[in-house]
Amino acid sequence: MIEIEGVTCRYGGGTEKSGDGDGKADGDRVTAVANVTLSIPDGEFLIVAGANGSGKTTLVRTFNGLVTPDSGTVAVNGTPVSDDLVAARTAVGMVFQDPRDQLVASTVGADVAFGPENLGLSHAEIDRRVADALAAVNMTGREDDRIASLSGGERERVAIAGVLAMEPDHLVLDEPFTGLDEPARRSVLDRLRELRAAGTSVIVVTHDLRDVLGLADRVLGLSAGRVAVDAAPREAATDLPELDVRVPEGAFDDRPVNTGADDTASDTVDS
Amino acid sequence: MTLSYVPDDSLAHRLDPRSKLLVQVGFAAAAYTYTTPRGLAALTLLAVVCLRLAGGGPRDLWTYRVAFPVLLVAPLVAGATLGTPWFRVDRAATTGLASYRVLLILVVAAGYVRSTPVRDSRAAIQRSVPGKPGQFLGTGVALVFRFLPLLKRDLLTAREAVRARGGGALPVRDRMRLVAVAGINRAFGRADRLGTALNARCFAWNPTLPRLALGPADYPALAVGGGLVVAAVASVV
Repeated sequence: MIEIEGVTCRYGGGTEKSGDGDGKADGDRVTAVANVTLSIPDGEFLIVAGANGSGKTTLVRTFNGLVTPDSGTVAVNGTPVSDDLVAARTAVGMVFQDPRDQLVASTVGADVAFGPENLGLSHAEIDRRVADALAAVNMTGREDDRIASLSGGERERVAIAGVLAMEPDHLVLDEPFTGLDEPARRSVLDRLRELRAAGTSVIVVTHDLRDVLGLADRVLGLSAGRVAVDAAPREAATDLPELDVRVPEGAFDDRPVNTGADDTASDTVDS
Repeated sequence: MTLSYVPDDSLAHRLDPRSKLLVQVGFAAAAYTYTTPRGLAALTLLAVVCLRLAGGGPRDLWTYRVAFPVLLVAPLVAGATLGTPWFRVDRAATTGLASYRVLLILVVAAGYVRSTPVRDSRAAIQRSVPGKPGQFLGTGVALVFRFLPLLKRDLLTAREAVRARGGGALPVRDRMRLVAVAGINRAFGRADRLGTALNARCFAWNPTLPRLALGPADYPALAVGGGLVVAAVASVV
C-alpha cells in the first residue's frame, strides 16, 4: 500500500510569501502539489488525471523518492520512503513519459537486467527476471536487439520490462500512451490488464482517459496540485472535463458525459 | 552513427573485456614509444586488425570525424612560424606523427567500444582495480559511456532543428552558436533525466557484475597486449 499524508511539493529556490499552497507561483516558488492525502491499496488500478502542470508527475515521483516533499510523508508498504529509498524504488516501479529517458543500456537484455543487477541479485535470479519480464511484454528472445533500432512502442515495452524486472508491488506509468500508434497502445494495454490480473497495483498518469478508463478502479483528478476528484470512474467522469481531462464519449452509455474534447474522436471503452 | 556497443558474434565480442583492455593499454603505450614510420606502419596494421576482429570498418571511424579537423590542423599549426622560414617541416612532421598515433589509438578504441557492453567494461575495471578505486572507476565508466551517446544524439537533434527552420543558410558561426547553446541546455537537461532514471532504477556502486571468464581465444590477446606493454617499457628503459 502507498500512503501519502499531507504532501506538499514546491519548486524554485526563492522566498515564500504566503505558503497557501494554491498551486501557483508563490513568491519565487511554485507549488506543484498542495497538501495531498491519499491511500493506494495493493492491487488497485488508479488513474491520476489532470491538465498539464496540475502536479500529476510530481505527485507520483514522491512515491519512490525521486521527488522529496517539502512537507508531509509518503510510506510504501508501511515504510517511510525517506527511510529506505532502495526499498521504495524496488516496490514502486516507474515508467517515464519518454522511454528514451529511462533506457540506459544499448541492448534490450542489458537494459532489462540493469535494475536487478543494481539490487545485487544472483546471476540466476537476474536471468530469470529478465526472461520473465521480456515474456510479459512479448519480447522474448530479443535480448540482443539494439535499443536504437526499436520502434517507439517497442521502447515503451522495454521500459516496462525494465521496471517489471524489479518485480515491483506498484507500477507507475507516466503518460504511457504518448506517441504510440494504435497497435502499440493495444499492446501496452494488454500488458496492463495482465499485470492488474496478477495483483500488481497499476497507477497511470494521464490527461486522456480514452485508453484506460475502462480498466480503472478509481480516478484521482488533480487541479493546481490539489485533489479535485477522487471517485470511481463512473462518478469521476462527470467532473473530469472541468479539469481539462479528456473523457471518452459514451464511456458510460446510461449517462451523458461532457467529453471536454475539442476534436471528433469517438473512442469508447469497455467498462 | 553513434559509437557504441553493437551486438555481434565476432572474435572480439567473444573475448573477455580484460583481454581487450590490456590490448588497448599496450597499444597506446607502444604507439607513444615507437614513433618511427616503420613502427607506426606495424601499429597501423595491428589497429586495422583489431577493428576488423570487432566486426568494424571505416564507417566506425566516421564517428570520430569531430576529431579529424584537430588532428589535421595540428601539424600545420605546429609547423607554422611567425617569421622566416614561415613553416618548419620537421616540427610539422613530428606533430603529424603524433596526430597519426592518436588516430591509431582511436581505431583500436572503436574496436573495443563496438565489441564490449558498458557493464562488461565496468566489470573488467572493477575486477582489475580492487576496492573503492575500482568501484569509483567502474561507476565513472558506466556513467560516461551511457551519457555520451545520449548527449551526441541531443546535439544532432539540435542541429536538425536549426536546419529544419532554415538555419542551414546562416553563417557557420551563427549555426555553431545556436547548436552550442541548445546543446549545452540539452546536456544539462539530459544529465538531470539520466540521473533521475538511474536513481529510479537503484543505480548502485556495487551491482551484480556480469560473469567474466578467460577462454582459449583470450590467451593470444593477452599475449599481444602483454607483449606491447613489455615492448613499450623496454624501449623506454
